[in-house]
Amino acid sequence: MKKEDVRICVMRVGGTNCDAETKRAFEDLCVKAEVVHLNQIVNRKNLLSYDALVFPGGFSFGDYVRAGAIWAKGIAAKLGRDLKKFVEQEKPVLGICNGFQVLVEAGLLPGFDRVSEYPQAALATNEPTGYRCKWVHLKHENSGRCIFTQKIPKRQVLRIPIAHAEGRFIFPREQEKEYLQRLLDNDQLVFRYCSQEGEYAGGAYPANPNGAFYDIAGICSVDGTIFGLMPHPERAYYGWQLPDWTRREQVPKYGDGKLIFESMTEYLTKKF
Amino acid sequence: MEYRVRVEISLKSGHSDPEGETTKKALFELKYPVKAVNVSKVYNIRLEATSLKDAKGKVEEICRRLLANPVKDNYEFEIEEVK
Amino acid sequence: MSLYIKTDVPFELNEIRLPKANNKQLLQISKELELGLNLEEMKAIQKHFAMKGRNPTDVELQTIGQTWSEHCHHKTFKGDVVTENGTIKSLFQTYIAKATMELNPDWCLSVFEDNAGIINFDKGVALAAKVETHNHPSAIEPFGGAATGVGGVIRDILGVWAEPIACTDVLGFGPLNFEHDKLPVGVKHPKYIFSGVISGIGCYGNNMGIPTVNGAIYFDETYVGNVVVYCGCIGTLPKDKFVKDAKPGDIILLVGGKTGRDGIHGVTFASAELTEKSEEISRPAVQIANPIEEEKLKRAIIEVRDCQLGSSITDLGGGGLSSAIGETAEKSGCGAYVELEKVPLKRMGIAPWEIYISESQERMLLLVPKKNLREVLEKFESEDVKATPIGKFIKDKMLKISYQGYKVAEIEIEFLFKPPKPQRTARWKAPSYEEPRFPEPQELTKDVLKILSSPNVASKESVIRTYDHEVKGNTALKPLQGRYAGPSDAAVLKPLEDSWKGVVLSCGMNPNYGKIDPYWMAASSIDEAIRNNTAVGGRRIALLDNFTWGNPEKTDRMSTLVRACQACYKFAKGFETPFISGKDSLYNESPSGPITPTLLITAVGLIPDVRKTVSMDVKQAGNLIYIVGQTYPELGGSEYYKSRGFLGKTIPEVRISQARKIMKSIVRAVDLGCIKTCHDLSEGGLAVAVSEMAFTGDYGIELHLKNVPRSRSMQRNDFILFSESNSRFLVEVQEKRRRDFQALMDGVAFSVVGRVQRKRRLQVYGSDESTVVDASLVELRKAWKGTFGG
Repeated sequence: MKKEDVRICVMRVGGTNCDAETKRAFEDLCVKAEVVHLNQIVNRKNLLSYDALVFPGGFSFGDYVRAGAIWAKGIAAKLGRDLKKFVEQEKPVLGICNGFQVLVEAGLLPGFDRVSEYPQAALATNEPTGYRCKWVHLKHENSGRCIFTQKIPKRQVLRIPIAHAEGRFIFPREQEKEYLQRLLDNDQLVFRYCSQEGEYAGGAYPANPNGAFYDIAGICSVDGTIFGLMPHPERAYYGWQLPDWTRREQVPKYGDGKLIFESMTEYLTKKF
Repeated sequence: MEYRVRVEISLKSGHSDPEGETTKKALFELKYPVKAVNVSKVYNIRLEATSLKDAKGKVEEICRRLLANPVKDNYEFEIEEVK
Repeated sequence: MSLYIKTDVPFELNEIRLPKANNKQLLQISKELELGLNLEEMKAIQKHFAMKGRNPTDVELQTIGQTWSEHCHHKTFKGDVVTENGTIKSLFQTYIAKATMELNPDWCLSVFEDNAGIINFDKGVALAAKVETHNHPSAIEPFGGAATGVGGVIRDILGVWAEPIACTDVLGFGPLNFEHDKLPVGVKHPKYIFSGVISGIGCYGNNMGIPTVNGAIYFDETYVGNVVVYCGCIGTLPKDKFVKDAKPGDIILLVGGKTGRDGIHGVTFASAELTEKSEEISRPAVQIANPIEEEKLKRAIIEVRDCQLGSSITDLGGGGLSSAIGETAEKSGCGAYVELEKVPLKRMGIAPWEIYISESQERMLLLVPKKNLREVLEKFESEDVKATPIGKFIKDKMLKISYQGYKVAEIEIEFLFKPPKPQRTARWKAPSYEEPRFPEPQELTKDVLKILSSPNVASKESVIRTYDHEVKGNTALKPLQGRYAGPSDAAVLKPLEDSWKGVVLSCGMNPNYGKIDPYWMAASSIDEAIRNNTAVGGRRIALLDNFTWGNPEKTDRMSTLVRACQACYKFAKGFETPFISGKDSLYNESPSGPITPTLLITAVGLIPDVRKTVSMDVKQAGNLIYIVGQTYPELGGSEYYKSRGFLGKTIPEVRISQARKIMKSIVRAVDLGCIKTCHDLSEGGLAVAVSEMAFTGDYGIELHLKNVPRSRSMQRNDFILFSESNSRFLVEVQEKRRRDFQALMDGVAFSVVGRVQRKRRLQVYGSDESTVVDASLVELRKAWKGTFGG
């Protein structure tokens, strides 16, 4: 498929608020992205006419009940069948921040058994508690499964900001070890929080900004076409968005976030 | 028939409760001899059902489907018929 | 005989026996109905209804009370002020607006008259800016008060059809370590207020997805009973989409949340002093915030704007429907007919007068030509936002309100907007302060560390991080700079995809100077706001003024207000920086006394290319450090004096012709790429500025005080290091640009005072070259970050 023919759906509901900058990132790569309200997709029944689906950041439905929960259940109820087909066709699905919370609540991630009926993980309240907006370092852990990080060498350290209050990735206590092993065996682990120098945070603040289990910042599905992460790559897309670009002799054109959007676009143009 | 339901969602033991910890600290600073704070969430629901058994089944489903994430949450509920 | 007559209708409606009431009864009515009107105003209403030959209804009296309140009508700024030197006809016209009118720049598109000031930007897009005060509600309910403050100012921006792109917030609290036992009855502890206000602000901005990019936090003893909450918002607006031209026949559309009892009499409450009992009485006056509702509302309004389907818009803030409908009708030269029963309610049993003045949040008013109504309703429906036609504009310049078919109000619009002109009296008494006397310390490292950790100077990172300052992805210069999160002087946004032009946001506020002289306090706030803007490369600056003052009916409070206004005129004019919008909050008095006069100046500047933005962290060892601007022995109200328990007497002045020249020279040097780093000198003076530059950039600096351009009389190293004289900058320049930079600074006081060094220490040498400060960057950083964490 040619780049110009790709159509990406950036879905939104009430409270979504990172849709515009997410769309802008794709458009910078000359890929067409549309911001579409969930109700519109339900009415037009046209989810399958898109080539990729993005759940952007925000506070969908005010984060009531649990962050991402209401949106997740809403999709399952209203778009369940179409979404299943969408995923089966190996079309990419990306969830950023609140979008990651949606994918986890919808049972799509980690999705050990493709789609689970109940969540197999949770994004719990931060520890230390509270909303936090800051730049973090991420180590790329994926060995090639994740189609969203193909352009990033393994072990490379990326710098991307977070902004959330509920981002502590956890597994059920009893299955922690087992699930982690599956995550690693399936090559589903994508990003872990680390220090500037690339050492794993070891659960400790501030390198690990939310107390996430095993410093997990982002994971993908078993087949690598669904990807969720707490950090916001769309806020690290251009060089002038970086927190210290004023220190450089030349303003860099792009930031690390671009690699994710580029990898995804390349997958689309090669695969379809 | 109509039922009045009170659902309480609380954290499973073993999971940390940063909100409770922070509240405990705040209360402590206000000079209350607080030993522990656990935060849970309560939903008061009015529900249509054919019988108490039917209502129980529905609430069970509501909890599992939306209100609780079994990874970290426990749920319990009380049901009473609205006269 | 009762003053109130229950009318024979199937809902609550009272007539008030106003025409025959005596003075005592008039005041009794004002008090019992919580109208907040004085005798003169009550008499004017009495006369009006006597002429009509009938009793007013409660709906009518409440409507008048709201429209005439200090909050809605700004009586103090519009009225006469009797002073020792004659009568001032309106502070607003004489000082604030005058500077703008005289400067009359063509880039000011709409000033003072609308919900927000509007200035030109780029590519057919204008900027709208507004800063609100929300002190009173935040004192009673910190979380809700602050959150609705943010929500309200965002609606002000929507109220000129602009899309909000960034928020600012400047806050003032009592000392966080204030002793519990010393708290006056009914006053909440500063710590409680602090955490509530901060979560309220974060909650609203974050949930709505509008970045909070600039602000400040000050602590002062007089803020114990009077919290200061300034919420600002800036938005973008395609100029050709702006419309305020409602015609008779246009439909009045109420959009957004439902109406409830929350926030009844918010404006009367904001126009009175807080008392011990304020908490119990005023609870319902605090509104409940729902940012997600406003997020949806915003989307729908921007849609309606882009399709040009409305004919006017305004927000529902203070005074609720009563202010919004009245003001829009008056400005459009129309009357209005309202069917109040159509207003969607949160619960049943709310009386018509309550519906009309309720300040429930997340509501806006649109005027829509009949032919567009269906399309507009569809737009709101697709965003899940309620939109309800509740009446229409009429030719007859009357406000006519009905409820369930009964007439409940009929007032001439003209009468509503012609309240009796109030008169205030001002008596200035210069306070008699003295300069402290104490020996000069030989070693100042301890003092530097102490001031870095003082609450007004210390890092606010732990607060700033709870605000999303990056959502929308347009924040080019962030409030926290680099790895060590140093304090940026201003924020820079890049709002347009097809333009490199940036918006520069900064602020200035110096409450401590206000204790000595509000004139120089105001001048300093203006200088600081402009200086912060200039430091990153901002120019073509517009100003916003926000006054937080005590009870203006007291002559001393009034006199300080007059002095501050005089400075506003002089320095706005002198800097060629017009005021475009403002807001006042008066009656900030509590059981612990009046508030320190606190003027916030917000500056909105431009930078032609965001890639030229200069940050405040030093960049490279070996580079030169210049100081620009003259240092004077002005330590009154300084952090240095404060750290030693003094207030002092001589506060910083602004020498306007030098100051203006300095700002212009710095901007030119930024444009020509001569400046690697620039930081303004403010609280803590040279000492704090040089420390912040060093520990943020992670390079040491050696600094020689003997080279600092200063008054002849200034010998003491501590004074040179800690003076807070205005219009000064520290600048890092590469050796190879030395000559270029010096040429650009021709005509202003400047000098090389040091060098960036690889050794991670700040080393300051006194006028006799003895070491006066020697500290590691780690120590300095620790002192600065230790107070509030981060």
